[in-house]
Order: sequence, then structure tokens, then C-alpha cells
Amino acid sequence: MANTVSRRVFGAGALATGLIGKTASSFAQGEPKRGGTLVATWGGGEPQACYVPAGGGSSPTFSSSKLFERLGRRSMEGAFEGELAEAWKPAADFKAYAIKIRKGVKFHDGKDMTVDDVIYSIDEIWKKYAAAAAMTDYVGGESPDSDTVIVKFSKPVPEFFFSSLLCGGVNYIVPKHVYAGSDPVTNAANNAPIATGPWKFKEWVRGSHFEYVKNDAYWRPGFPYMDRMIIRYVRDPAGRAAAFEAGDIHIGVFNPVAPPDIKRLTGTGKFVATPKGYEESVWSTSFECNTRNPIFAKREVRQAMFHAVDRSLIARTIYYGYARPGTSPIFSPNKEFYTADTYKTEFDPKKAAALLDTAGYPKKPDGKRFTVNLLAAGWFTENGKIGAIVKQGLEDVGIVVNLTVPDRPSSIKRIYTDYDFDLAISNQANPSEPVPATTQYYTSDGIKKGVPFRNASGFHTDEVDVLVEKIKVETDATKRKTLVVEFQKITTREASNLPLVEIESITVASIKVQNHSNDPNYLASTWYDIWLAS
Amino acid sequence: MERFAIVGRFARNRGALVGALLILVVALAALLAPLFFPIDPLRIVGAPELWPGEDPAFPLGTDSLGRDMLAMIVHGARATLLIGLFASAVATVIGVSVGATAGYFGGWIDEGLMRAAELFQTIPNLIFVLTIVVILGSTLSNIVIAIGIVSWTSIARMTRAEFLALRDREFVQACRSMGMGDLKIIVAEILPNALPPVIVLSSLVVAGAILFESAVSFLGLGDPNVASWGRLVGDGRQLIRSSWYISAIPGVAIMITVLCLNLIGDGLNDALNPKLRDR
Amino acid sequence: MAGVIASSSRRVAALRLLRRRLFQAVPLMLGVVVINFILIHLAPGSFLELMTAENQVSDPATVELLRKAYGLADPIWLQLLKYIWALLHFDFGFSYRQNMPVIEAITINLPATLLLMISSIALALAVGVAAGVVASVKVRTFWDTLVSVAAMFFFAAPSFWLGIMMIVLFAVKLGWLPVGGMMTIGGAGGGVASVLDILAHLLLPTLALGLFYAAIYARVLRSSMLEVSQLDFVRTARAKGLSRNKVTLSHVLRNALLPVVTILGVQMGTVLAGSVVIESVFSWPGVGSLLFDSVSSRNYPVVLGIMVLGTLVVICANIAVDLVYMWLDPRIEIR
Repeated sequence: MANTVSRRVFGAGALATGLIGKTASSFAQGEPKRGGTLVATWGGGEPQACYVPAGGGSSPTFSSSKLFERLGRRSMEGAFEGELAEAWKPAADFKAYAIKIRKGVKFHDGKDMTVDDVIYSIDEIWKKYAAAAAMTDYVGGESPDSDTVIVKFSKPVPEFFFSSLLCGGVNYIVPKHVYAGSDPVTNAANNAPIATGPWKFKEWVRGSHFEYVKNDAYWRPGFPYMDRMIIRYVRDPAGRAAAFEAGDIHIGVFNPVAPPDIKRLTGTGKFVATPKGYEESVWSTSFECNTRNPIFAKREVRQAMFHAVDRSLIARTIYYGYARPGTSPIFSPNKEFYTADTYKTEFDPKKAAALLDTAGYPKKPDGKRFTVNLLAAGWFTENGKIGAIVKQGLEDVGIVVNLTVPDRPSSIKRIYTDYDFDLAISNQANPSEPVPATTQYYTSDGIKKGVPFRNASGFHTDEVDVLVEKIKVETDATKRKTLVVEFQKITTREASNLPLVEIESITVASIKVQNHSNDPNYLASTWYDIWLAS
Repeated sequence: MERFAIVGRFARNRGALVGALLILVVALAALLAPLFFPIDPLRIVGAPELWPGEDPAFPLGTDSLGRDMLAMIVHGARATLLIGLFASAVATVIGVSVGATAGYFGGWIDEGLMRAAELFQTIPNLIFVLTIVVILGSTLSNIVIAIGIVSWTSIARMTRAEFLALRDREFVQACRSMGMGDLKIIVAEILPNALPPVIVLSSLVVAGAILFESAVSFLGLGDPNVASWGRLVGDGRQLIRSSWYISAIPGVAIMITVLCLNLIGDGLNDALNPKLRDR
Repeated sequence: MAGVIASSSRRVAALRLLRRRLFQAVPLMLGVVVINFILIHLAPGSFLELMTAENQVSDPATVELLRKAYGLADPIWLQLLKYIWALLHFDFGFSYRQNMPVIEAITINLPATLLLMISSIALALAVGVAAGVVASVKVRTFWDTLVSVAAMFFFAAPSFWLGIMMIVLFAVKLGWLPVGGMMTIGGAGGGVASVLDILAHLLLPTLALGLFYAAIYARVLRSSMLEVSQLDFVRTARAKGLSRNKVTLSHVLRNALLPVVTILGVQMGTVLAGSVVIESVFSWPGVGSLLFDSVSSRNYPVVLGIMVLGTLVVICANIAVDLVYMWLDPRIEIR
């Protein structure tokens, strides 16, 4: 069973890499062509605003990341490179970092980017909205000269953590002269951003598209190649597939079309599909137990939940093979920290039943053990279907399941504010750096009522809390990895919240599109070097 | 005697007879569903997307997850008919109470209640149902209540008209002069005479309720613990290129059921309101 | 002379009717606002919660600030009064989700929905009246049976299912028509080509939504045609030696249309609601999709605005129906 799945997963991957190889070779066809308009889309809807300071989900991240830039970026090989910063380095005690700012960068309105903009962005945007959870130990920033910013922390900060902060999420450098003195969340510039990136905002036709134009004063000389970029929103996957076929859309990130259509499109030879470009934003479907319920306060019961669910079935039928069973809260594409050597909760109903028996919940005369409320968050349709599979698995071991699939606001409220669930199916998208994105699901300071995508299970032990504090401040990379491996062993054993599957996100592009999928979080990168062959 | 005449008139309408027989089949399927398909119809039992006839074990094929279509259709009959009947019951209770009160008492009570009915008639009905379901939560009982709330107005109007016509008749006057209470007059004297047209309308509300429920489920707001025909149509929607039968089959089931209920309504209309034939 | 007086008195009557109806509309609208306002505020998960969730705001002070900014700090009754007060000034409020006035957010999507509604009603009337006339003229023939069977079918088929089946046949299998949307994404090239492009996209949704109503009109018209043709004045007209066709069209049809018009008015709200489902099937970029997004983000002002405008459309349609009624049947002096 498991074998067929992995073959299918690898099959899809191999197919995609094969096709990517083709892109690479066509890339060798010579000089990039200048000019033209690129039409891009993504596998979701229009954002609430072009830029949302706190991120606001994938949609505003996609639209804003073409305009704004970060201090640095991570390459496909894993190296950190400067973008709006030229370089950064830690102090001897790792409690401060010196960032050297790039000279000659101008905002779209012609004003120079200065150290003031950087300090403002860190103090007012990152610390309060974009990266609040990661910056709890941030003390303040100062600029000893016009091209250096010193960022200070109260505790030692590992270099990988700091670099990830600079290169991740929506940690952009925003213009102080536009945002200072206003409420960043409601600032009108969020709908027509002024930034430093390769693309300049031109127009937003609501319900249809964004139009961006080339930034002639871009600091990377000669870039971007193209004159215009249109980000077009199409409500449904079938419509996107039709638009691809008609040549109206060149590239779509984050699963723009349904799996059967991926095969149909690539089969024509005019399109490529690739799972590359999602290494720093791996999505998973998570399954968590509410430990406030005394039944789930028992570790054996939690483990039994996972043993009862056929994860490869989920990967196969619901994601058509574009997913793989999850084995750890750190996902397998994570080169720095992933370990396969974790506590395994493989599909094994007999073991689940035995665990439930020993936990003190034997089958009653009617064949049932207890009743649970299973909540599948309705923001993805897949979650409801996974709910059906989980329900079936649990029923097979004698648990009565009441499944609900509430809509987005109800799900957020019930899981993260009211804790009104016994078992929940939700989603996580995590970067390589485990603190805090991954760890906050397991620590006591991750329990924040009303803040979504945190520790809703209520699980906390001193063991994990102490370990995460150590991971936070361990500046030696090798020692840090050992600690994170330890973290994975404990959390998989405790089974309060684990991934059911890691989802393989797919980008579909016309073979004409060159230089794409070349960033580990391609949806959120600037696309400064993209071009369209004739 | 009268009763035989009603049955006779009903049976003379061939369409109604066919409709009644088919509904009987659907009802039997609903009743006996657990006998034929003892396990939960939402269980995954085979390979996904098997076409009808591809595997003899699944005559109507399987859906995108590998659930038996036939089992879901048969169990779905149960949910569909129950929702239709209960929603119609809710609508009838509200409609008859409101209509009777308005028609019997008249005056400002009538004016107020009819304004309220107008209000509910004005709000776009399905939108109202969807809003209620989103707000109360997607459970079977909430869907029934929501459909009942938007479906009572026509029944109220009909009841009111009947009451207006009947309230000043001699037999009612006689009851009044005997000192009978209003409630007793309404329930025991006028209501039985006003019921026939209301019954026709209620039977049509059943058909309407089934269509409402299927639309709600189709849009993904149905109860996930119930095999509903509408939801099955919605599930199959993503697969129209490869497996359109998943949407087609439950839709046919909905259509046949609604068609039969309409035929029965027509037949009842002929049988109970001979004056109103051909309307 | 007499004709002039009659027509002017009818105009007065029409105006009186209009005034009366508009006057009645006020409490109706008020009721719609109050019911929906309360309903929406009962929903679990508020707009504020969603916005703070998406903006990762956990600081209580910031939450309070946003609560004030969104106008959610007042008690509900005061919010309701403020809303009604603003509404009286034709102010539908501000949508913080889209960062634009509600009325603007709705008017972006409104034309598409109106287009779908109007074309569906037009189709329903054209097909329904034609079929009804044919069935009643050729009563108890093959044509009559055909119309009855077709009407039965379309009256019972759920519109969304009909839509999907038509997509399967005409878009997926035959490839004649697009699967959804309102226009080709890259644009069809402007001018006549664009109009044709929109028409091609409009055809299937119009059929899916309109055929249900065509079935109703055909059935109602058939029976009312048969009824009217038995009336005295029709017999008189025939006795006067007027041709059969002329009698059918000018005398019978005109009077037989009355119940069709009544139903049309009553069902305006249903057509609007039905278009919500059809929009979802065909990815039609109308008010329906906006309503869905707004309900699922608890964007109250937009939901309320759509409800209020929808009710307004229904009320206007009803008034129009009353006026058409007067025109069709001079004998009727409306209540």
C-alpha cells in the first residue's frame, strides 16, 4: 500500500522534474528577451488588499511580494543572499546583528531608502504585525552611520534564525514617509503600495486583476526584463485551465488547476508543471487533539488517533498523489532540520485499539468507546473530505465521530478562540526555521486564545518548553540541529498535533516562461528576472 | 362516500398515480436502506471514480473517494424525504397559525401578520436560507428550520383566504352564539374546512424544500454527516471532465422525486378542489 | 372626450398606486434591515475576529482600536440605528474588507447579475409564452403533450444540476461553449467580438436559470388561456367574425397573461436568489459571488447592502407588475 503511494508521489515528482529539465534547456537558448507582458495567477482568489502588513495569507503575499522587497533572500541551494541589505553579521555574543544597507535604492515615488525606513519597518511593521511571534526578544534598532543598522536582542539569536527573519514572510522594507503616523493596517497605501521592488503598482481592477509596470529605477541594473505584469484572478480551477489553454495566462503558482487538468495541460507539451519553489513554504494538513478534554490528555489516546488514520489513502485519493504522509512537525523538504528518525504513528488500527484499551477506554457492550467532535476547517474543500476519511478510521476502532465542516470564520473561532473541538483538521505552512512557526504549536507561550494558527491543542510540558527555549538561543548550528531532532522525537511521541500529509504544491507555466520556480518560496518572491520567450 | 370520490378523482389522474407509485418506491428505498446497505453509506469501500457498471459490486459506480454511489443514493433518499417532510411540516404549522389568526381576527392583527408575510416573501428566499444555515450551523435540523421559515408565506395566504371566506358562515356564527371560545372555533370548526387547499400547497412545499436542501448541500453548506443528493452533485462538480456520472446520477434522483411530488400535488388538487381544476 | 377623461383618471390611479406602494415599501425595507442585521450579528465569528486573525493582532489595545475603527464598539441597537440613519441618506456604509464604500463594492458586481437575471426572465417569458400559446391552441395534441412533459421536466430539475449537465454536454464534450466566466480572460478583441463573447458565456447560465421559469409560465399560461377562451367576451368576439388567430392573440392572450405577470412579480426575489446558485456553477462574476465571500468573511455591511438592494429590486419589480397589470386589464382598479 505504502509502496504504491510513494511510487505515485515520486512518479509525479519525476515527471515534473523531467519537465523542469526541459525548461532549463530552453533557458539556454540565449539572451533573455526584453519587453512584453506576463500574465500570472495563483490557485486562490483576490486578496483583501494588495498588501497586508501582517501577511494576511497567501493571496496578499503573492500580490505584494512583486512590489516590496526584503533585506535578503534564500537561494534554491539554501544560501542566504543580500537583497536590500548587502550583508549582515552577528556580534560576538549573538545578541546583536549589524546589517549593511544597500546604497542607491529608491522607492517608487523617487525617495531614497534609508536606515530610517529599515528601523521603522522593523519596529513598527515586523515587531507588531509581520513577525511579532518571532521577535519577542527584540529590544530595538539603531543606526551608527547612514548605511548600518544594529538590531539588538535580549537573548542570543542563532544566525539561521536571524537570516530567516530577514528573508522570510512579508518582512518587507516599507517607506517610513508613507506609513509613519498612520495605522498600518488601514493605510490607504496598502491598496496602491509604494515600495522598492522591480515592479511598480499601476492599477487594481477589482474582481479582475492587478497591473504592475516595470520599475525603471530598479537597483538591479538591467532588471526586470519585462515591461508589464498582470496578476489575474480567476475564481475556479476549470476557468484557469481554460485560460491556460487559450494562452491568456502564462504562469500560475500554488495549484492553479485541478490535478486531472495538470496532466492534461502538460500532456500537450505546451506547459510544464513543477513542485519546485515551495521548499520554504511547505503546506501540510494537520490533525490536532484538544488536550483540555481529559480523554485526549492521555498520550496513548492521542497516538491511537494517528494510528487509526490511513494517511496514504488521504495522499492518494484526496490529493491525487500530490501529497505524502507526514512523519514529523518539521517537514521532509527541510534540509537543515528534518529527521526521519522519529516516533512513528503508522496506520495500524489494531495498535490503535490496543492503545485505547490500555488507556482505559475499552469497547463498551455496544462496540463503542467514546464520542468525539471532529472539526474539519472548511477553508480548503479537501479538509472536509479528509474529515470523512478520519471519521471512518476512528469509527473502525470504535469511536463515535460527529463531523462538522464550518466555514472560515467559524472554524477560526471554534479552533483558535473557543477551543470548541475534540479533534481538528487544520493546515500549516512552515518555513525551514522551526522557531517560532513550528514550535509555537507545542509550547505554552504558543497558547494564545484568539490568535489563529498557534497551539490550540493546549498541549504543554516543561520538557518541550525548556527544549524550545534552548533551540531559540543555541547559536552553534550542529548543536542546534541535535536539539531540533530531539524536539521532533518528543512531539511525534506526544502526538498532540502532527501532519497527516505534506502537500506537494504545484506551479504550472507555459514553456515560454523562463527563469521561474527559482526561489524556495516562489509565490512570495519578486520575480525580477522572469521573461517570456517568443 | 365523499372519501371514495376523492380517491377516485385522484386515481383518475394518471400522472398523479404514477407519481404516487414512484414516490412509494423512493420511500420504500428510504425505509429499507439500512437493510440493503447496513454500513454507513459514507464509508470508503472501493477504488475511487469507478464508472457505473465497471465493477459489478458497485452498479452505480463510486465517487471521488471510493464510496458506493448506490448506497449513497438509497440512503440519500431517506435524508431527502425526511428533510422535505419536516420542512413542509414546519412551514405548514407556521403558515396555518399565522393565516388562521390573520383571517379569523382580521383588523390590525391581520394587517400586521400579512405585512410580516410580505416581508418574508420579499427577502430573496434562498439567500435567506443560506444566511440562516451559515449562522446557525450546518446541521440537518437547522436546514429544516431555515427552509420552513422561508416557505410558510403561501400557506399563510391560502389559509387566511379560506378563513376569511368561512368565518362569517352560519355554522361559525352558531358556534359563536353558543359561546364557544375563539381557539376552539378556529381549530375544531373552521380549520377542517379550510384544510384541503392547504394540503395541496403543503405537498408542493415538500417538493420545494427538497430543491432548497439540494441547493444548500450543493453549495457545500449541508450536513457533512448525511448522504445528501445535493452534496453529491456538488462533489462531482470538480470531476465533470473525467467522471460526470457522479453529478448526473443524484441529480436524476432529485428530479424524479420532485417531479413525482409535483404530480401528486396536481392529483391532490384535482381530487380535493374539483372547482380549481386546470389551474 | 370620454376617452381622455378615462386615460387621465387612470394616470391618476397609477400615480396613487405608485405613492401607496412606495409608502408601504418603507416599513418593509425597515423590517428587512432589522431581521438581517440581527441575524448576521448572531453568526459565530465576527468580522473583527477574522481581521485580527488575518492580521495576527493579539495585543488587546490594538483589538479595541480596530473595534472602534470598524464601528463595532457600540451596542448592537445603536449600531442598527446608526445603520438605518445612514441608509436614509443612501449611505450603505464602508467595507473594510475591500477598503471601499459598500455601494461601490456592490455596483462592481451588480451589472453581471442584472444581465443574467434580465436575460433569464426574457428567455423564460419568450419560451414560456410561446409554449403556453402552442399548448393551448393545439390542446390535447402531440404538441400539448410535448409542452406538458417538457414543463414537468424543467420544473423538477434543480437549476444547478441542469447547469452542470449542460456544461458537460456543450462545453466539455462538444466544446461549443465556454465552461464558465463572463468573458474570455484575455479579452475577445473588442467591439462586436466582445459582445458575441459575452453572449456565448451568457447562453448556458441563462438556459439553466430561465428554463425553470419558462416551465412555470408555460403551464400557467396554458390553463389561463383555456379558461379565458371560455369567457363570454371571447365568444362574442368570435361571433363577430374576427379571425381565430386575431382573437387568440389580441383578446385571449392579453387577458391570459395576467396570472403570468403576477407570478413574475412574486418570483423576482427567487430569480435573484437562483442567480446566486447559477453564478456559483458558472463562475459568473456577479453579486452572488460577492455575497458568498462577504458572508464567509462576516463582512456585515456588504451582506446587508446586498439584502437591502435585493429587496429594493423585488419591491420595484412588484410595483412594475402592478402597473403592467393595470395596463393589461383596464377593468382592474387596484385595491
